[in-house]
Amino acid sequence: MSEARSPGSTAALLPQTPPAGGPAAGPGGPPSAEMDPVEYTLRKRLPRKLPKRRNDVYVNMKTDFRAQLARCQKLLEGSGGGHREICVHGLGLAINRAINIALQLQAGSQGALQLAANTSTVELVDDLEPDDPDEAGEPMTRTRNNSAIHIKVYYPDPQ
Amino acid sequence: MSGSKQRMREKKLSKQPASVQYTPPPPPPSSSSCPSTPLNGSQGSGTPMPGHSSSTHDASPGGPSDQGGWVRGHQKDGGDYRVDFPKYITATPFTMARAMEIQAMLKAVTKAAGSCHVFGAIPKHMRRRAMSHNTKRLPRRLREVANRMREKGLKAGGKKEQPKSKSRKARRRHGNLLLEFNRRQRKNMWLETHIWHAKRFHVLKKWGYCLGDRPTSKCYRACHRAMSNHCLLQDLSYYCCIELQGEEDKLLACLSRLTSKETGPTFAAVLALSGRRQGGATLYRAGQYPSQPLGPVTFLWRPRTSGSSHRQLWLWAHPTLKQDLLPELQSVCQCSEPIIPVVPPVAMPVQPAPTPSPGPRKADRIPGAKRKRSARDEDGPPEKKIVGDGTRPPSAPVSWTSASTGILITDLTLEIVRYRLIGPQSHAVLTEALEAATQCDAMSNAMTTPLWWPDHCKDQAKMTLHWQQAEVFETFKGVCSTGEVPSGTVLGLNVEDPRLALPQKRTKALSDVTADQAPGGWFEYTSGSVLLGSLCLVMQMCQVRILVEPYADKTRELMLKGVPEHCCQSSLWDHFVRDNVTDNRLSEQEINRMKREVLVPGSRLSPTPLQSRVPVLLVHQPGKQVGQEMGSWGAGWDLLLPKGWGMAFWVPLVYRGVRIGGLKMAIKHSQGQGAPHFPHDYPDCPAGVRFQEEQEAELLNKFKRRPPAKRTNYIKHGCLAPFSCPWQQLAEEWELIVGEAAEAGHGAELGVRTDAQEVTSQGECSATVAQSGFSVLRNRKSLRLLSAWCRPTTSKGQRSLRARDQAAPLDAASQAAFLTTHVRALAWVRLSLLTKGKPELHAQVCVATQEDLRRLADKEADFGGPLEHPHKDRFKSRVKRRKKTSKKTQTSSTAPPTSKASDPDAADLARASATGSPDPTPASSVAERGQTPVSASAATPQGPPSSDLVLGLWPDPLPSVTAHCSRVTLGWVTQGDFSLSAGCGEALGLVSLEGLVHTLMAQPAEQRGLVLLRNPSALHYRLAKLNVEV
Repeated sequence: MSEARSPGSTAALLPQTPPAGGPAAGPGGPPSAEMDPVEYTLRKRLPRKLPKRRNDVYVNMKTDFRAQLARCQKLLEGSGGGHREICVHGLGLAINRAINIALQLQAGSQGALQLAANTSTVELVDDLEPDDPDEAGEPMTRTRNNSAIHIKVYYPDPQ
Repeated sequence: MSGSKQRMREKKLSKQPASVQYTPPPPPPSSSSCPSTPLNGSQGSGTPMPGHSSSTHDASPGGPSDQGGWVRGHQKDGGDYRVDFPKYITATPFTMARAMEIQAMLKAVTKAAGSCHVFGAIPKHMRRRAMSHNTKRLPRRLREVANRMREKGLKAGGKKEQPKSKSRKARRRHGNLLLEFNRRQRKNMWLETHIWHAKRFHVLKKWGYCLGDRPTSKCYRACHRAMSNHCLLQDLSYYCCIELQGEEDKLLACLSRLTSKETGPTFAAVLALSGRRQGGATLYRAGQYPSQPLGPVTFLWRPRTSGSSHRQLWLWAHPTLKQDLLPELQSVCQCSEPIIPVVPPVAMPVQPAPTPSPGPRKADRIPGAKRKRSARDEDGPPEKKIVGDGTRPPSAPVSWTSASTGILITDLTLEIVRYRLIGPQSHAVLTEALEAATQCDAMSNAMTTPLWWPDHCKDQAKMTLHWQQAEVFETFKGVCSTGEVPSGTVLGLNVEDPRLALPQKRTKALSDVTADQAPGGWFEYTSGSVLLGSLCLVMQMCQVRILVEPYADKTRELMLKGVPEHCCQSSLWDHFVRDNVTDNRLSEQEINRMKREVLVPGSRLSPTPLQSRVPVLLVHQPGKQVGQEMGSWGAGWDLLLPKGWGMAFWVPLVYRGVRIGGLKMAIKHSQGQGAPHFPHDYPDCPAGVRFQEEQEAELLNKFKRRPPAKRTNYIKHGCLAPFSCPWQQLAEEWELIVGEAAEAGHGAELGVRTDAQEVTSQGECSATVAQSGFSVLRNRKSLRLLSAWCRPTTSKGQRSLRARDQAAPLDAASQAAFLTTHVRALAWVRLSLLTKGKPELHAQVCVATQEDLRRLADKEADFGGPLEHPHKDRFKSRVKRRKKTSKKTQTSSTAPPTSKASDPDAADLARASATGSPDPTPASSVAERGQTPVSASAATPQGPPSSDLVLGLWPDPLPSVTAHCSRVTLGWVTQGDFSLSAGCGEALGLVSLEGLVHTLMAQPAEQRGLVLLRNPSALHYRLAKLNVEV
């Protein structure tokens, strides 16, 4: 998937403003403007896992680009399953790469493949853990949104 | 002739007549020398010829029987066949000599030579197996002899004729089997799943328990896959639960002395205190932080009941930790009055005494009861299965109370079964295996039963709580992965007996979230395909509307807020309910009988019997919490059950397609999480120290079991301590090195200003020197700082995507300040190899030299890391000499003076340690000075005790551990393996904090955190990236 697949914990200076792209008023806690920026550790949870069929490809930023491209090509070829269509998904930073993969696939097929793209918004959850848990109170959760793209790469039906 | 051949021959000849030489009593003067010798010589029998006695057999001043005798074949050196025949023979002595020879020959023939077995008498192809104890397999003529021989052997061997054991059928009869089982678990306790494990696992006796170590089948990879994709189950019931009861503020006041806020959340953390989350903490001896740690515990508070400040707290600790923890808790809480458990008092778990089970069970048994059993019932109460702790004498106190604080401590070891499910699908397994208890019907409500559930049903408040809990449990079905739930969430639940709905076949439980249920997400298709070039904006807009529409509100709430506080309550906390449930469990037999009577085979048993409701607690385990990648890997759920119900839940879980792991997988689990595993990775805790000693002894034994020629010579590999790590020595040496380096630096550059620091550091040192030892750094703030200094990277050394600004840049001042606060500390680090290589246990972590780093930066082709020059084993000759002398002392009883042998050895030793590093680097030359006192002590004329000397291992006073090799040692690896999830070799270990900071300072900024790693049995250093993860 995307870089959001690899969440980390860092002693964070939390941004005072909610991140662009979504309201940050998570139901778990007070709005972010109130929190003391130093006292919390930001820990990102994984995005919701999704059902995965054989012809779904989730693109991430860690795996080598060529490897991911080769995987898609193999899925479309007869040897690797011979799917008539595959779906390439990218989240956040990986959107760019997902589009790139899809276009490369199309370019490599001499026009046989067609693309259909959809976009969506994914809700992500962050945990804010107080460093000094006895006094600072409860850990909070915060939701934010991120964009995602789903590209269907398919052979059109011969008519 | 080799030694064994020689021995064989001696044995053969031992029963032969010694000499057949005829010495003529009155030798006539003329024929004194001639007559017998030449002839005897030609026969090769009589004359003892010096050439014939074997040359290897030098230590034989023995009798003539040794030297004389026949030697087969042509002898090289005995080639002096006499050719000069005598001129005449005197008849009488000649015939007498021959007669004697014939006599001896006859004697030799009649006497059985060599092995006294009769089987030697029959040719090989006629020998059969088991002839030795079934003599009828022998030919008849030999039977008698064989019988005699056998009797003699039995008598001589001292083997008692074993009392004829009962027939297998009798032994396997239920009651007798139970007796046998109970006897076998007197010493090492069995978990409830023991028999299941014993059939499938290698079982170890550890920590007073019999625990499954690893499965007998090959499933290492499958288990790893289960952990990262599906679900791995492990029986953790051996973890000890200690219950504390008392007023909240008093409990907190007492317990706060054991913890420190600097190490993270304590017992007073808000969420944990409310009972909504499970907490974890590292405990120290009262008020001793940061020295004298005890070990990590997890804890669970019972949610508050309204209007009462009386609280209940469970501490879960490893069994080796319990023996340190319990006395500490008693002293902290001033609980010294044991409650003798003769009368079942309040808060007393029922002892597993052989009391017959109460009424309902017996009444149920009647239809299936057998004659034999009823007959045995008359004799006395039937032997009962041990449930709970079987090793404890029934009168040993398990609870202690205090008059002053009012705190009650109860040892609940083995009172609660704990199963750990690891993996993203573990919630799916749980939702499929368990279902919330159904209410009793009105009729049974009216009756009064001794069971807890009907009573529970009558209480309206409890039932509403139950339905709420059941609802929360239902929402788990909408969760896609276990990692999505807030970490440490607790859910109390009453479930039905899972045996009632056992599937007929093993199935694989998967979460059934379909695309339309997971819409926050990620994707949904519109049927019309939209070309990438012509994205319709309107379409997109409305789609976003659809997609952002929150998935089932409840699931979302669960993910964000976790389980509401009141739903964390469970009847499992109540020991009356626990005992009631344990005593009234339906037996397996009963369930099977009910299954037989079901109309459709394999369908669910209904209606649910009254006994079949069990209170359980579900506790979420957060997965990987530290580091940049693989977040929440290995997350899962813990299932807590009342005792006695272990197998009733185990088998249904197994039938949901989980894999089962043992202790080995538990280590791999913690390794994947990057977390230290207790007691392996806690060398500063008493339990960890004990573990290290055991491990060393075990590894040494294993090493000694190999034939000497096949052992690794660790001295030649420059590995000082392959079986245990001298942490203390490491910390001390680094302290010296850094101290000297700092002095040099200060002298050159700064001068006055740092003197103050110097003084304070000296003061600190003297303060901590008194309490000898080292500590592992657990202060979160310092760890975070250190982590920033090491430059956080992902595995394989890729730099993380967002490099944060460092809080405090690494310079001399911050380094000095950092080190003064942490003296003689170790840091827990994760190492991932840059190239190939698989780190092993006790691999050395070493400082990379400038040269190594330069070669790496130059991208030299096939530079996999530098090589260590093979060391010289200066102890080899000594070991050999010792061997020889010991042999001599065996053969001739006069012992040679050992001191003579040890003097040159001591000189050897001194030379060995002085030239320990053949190619001293700048850093190691500094270390050289630090090493001198150690090596001096090593070169004392006493030398090590002789029994310690093993070929290939350094004898005890080790030379300087840091400067022994060409690269300076920083620390050692305690867990290392090829990581299947990262795809490279990964290791976890401890390094000296002083050494680490010192090294980081010396390294260029872009190559900070690169170290070398070398296995104990290899000479090749591998480059690795070091990460401190918080």
